[in-house]
Amino acid sequence: MFGFIWQCFYSSCLRFWMKWLLRLVTGTCELQRICSQCKAGALRTSKIEYSLNSSKSKVLRAALSVKEADLEDLIAQIIQEKRIKVQNDHTFKLNFQKCLLQISGYSKLFEAVEELRKEVYDSEKEEHEKMLLKLWELLMPSVRLESRISKQWCRIGFQGDDPKTDFRGMGMLGLTNLLFFSENYTDAARKVLSHSNHPKLGYSYAIVGINLTEMAYSLMSSGALKPNFYNTVSGKPQMQHFHEFYCYLAYEFDKFWLEEEPESIMEFNRYREKFHDKVKGQLQAQEVTLSFTLDAQK
Amino acid sequence: MTLIGLLSILRKLKSAPDQEVRILLLGLDNGGKTTLLKQLASEDISHITPTQGFNIKSVQSQGFKLNVWDIGGQRKIRPYWRNYFENTDVLIYVIDSADRKRFEETGQELSELLDEEKLNGVPVLIFANKQDLLTAAPASEIAEGLNLHTIRDRMWQIQSCSALTGEGVQDGMNWLCKNVTAKKK
Repeated sequence: MFGFIWQCFYSSCLRFWMKWLLRLVTGTCELQRICSQCKAGALRTSKIEYSLNSSKSKVLRAALSVKEADLEDLIAQIIQEKRIKVQNDHTFKLNFQKCLLQISGYSKLFEAVEELRKEVYDSEKEEHEKMLLKLWELLMPSVRLESRISKQWCRIGFQGDDPKTDFRGMGMLGLTNLLFFSENYTDAARKVLSHSNHPKLGYSYAIVGINLTEMAYSLMSSGALKPNFYNTVSGKPQMQHFHEFYCYLAYEFDKFWLEEEPESIMEFNRYREKFHDKVKGQLQAQEVTLSFTLDAQK
Repeated sequence: MTLIGLLSILRKLKSAPDQEVRILLLGLDNGGKTTLLKQLASEDISHITPTQGFNIKSVQSQGFKLNVWDIGGQRKIRPYWRNYFENTDVLIYVIDSADRKRFEETGQELSELLDEEKLNGVPVLIFANKQDLLTAAPASEIAEGLNLHTIRDRMWQIQSCSALTGEGVQDGMNWLCKNVTAKKK
């Protein structure tokens, strides 16, 4: 309760006067102070984001969703509005620009992710079919798929004889994630697949993968992934970075599942939540950098 | 009366428990069980993924607390269905009315369920789901195909619905609530 009142008081009143005082004493505005005092990454970018978000100036708030082409102009406007003496602060412009690229890049990336998710798997589309067959070839190089509709799909963890009904709410995002993992980390993906066929600790590889796509997607949509991207991608994050994060989840979940030794696959949602909480906890750390790393032994 | 006494009465009134009903939601994979579950709980249905294991939600409806167990439908985990039979008050069986190729399979699973000792006499509500699709078979055709009229050992009902749009779902639940009272009392 006290914390809440303090928070309201701070953000509505005290913060303004403190900024005013600091501006008077140091001769620099808040954006400059953040850029010079905080090291690059989540620490700096999150603070810049907070500062822009709480600003009353339209120009400053517009910076949160600026298009890359308008970036230069907007920064010039901000420099003018905030009366920043760029000649005394040579690094400001570049550092600030990087932060803006990260901030606006995150929401752009989410838009792209959302678009891919909304794209429904369509067996009439050659491109979709090709991707699906490629997934099979990468995961099962020594087994020929006898026909497009086949019980064999269950061997890589789809539910029935036609995977198209399994993508559901994750659409093409789910398939793209699965394919990216198999394509870029083929050995790791095959290893995870072989674990998923364990007689006692087994699970359905593709279905669990689609569930993990949902996890990556919801972490992205809630903004929980921001610190991770701010720390690991120095400019605008790309689709590939989202896929990389999926690979991290797929690989780590498999390890987690084997370590926990659940009684049966029916316990999946309980362990999924546990794993979700673990990842959310890691993402709360300011210096978080979650990236896919292959274990040497196993 | 002391304040504490008053408070404890208020608390009792407030927590007067609704009658709890255990509902089992079964059917083949991709039938729409999870969508139905989320629709019942008024949750977002646009991000659904295949159910690995099961989901459970409690929903308040017409003075009942419905504990709905949504169990994954893929063949591999159907053997686990039986672990959830105990104390079931109502069985909801969900059919994808547009997936004609699997009518036989879904009929087979349903008749096996109806033969289960632990589900003896348990009322069954069959949702002929996905009526929003043009290719969906009408409920009457499904009822005939599954020989539902031969069921004599329990109350049953077939209800056409679309878990996606919500149409028909409430009608089914009204039947369910009416018949669960009859059974519980």
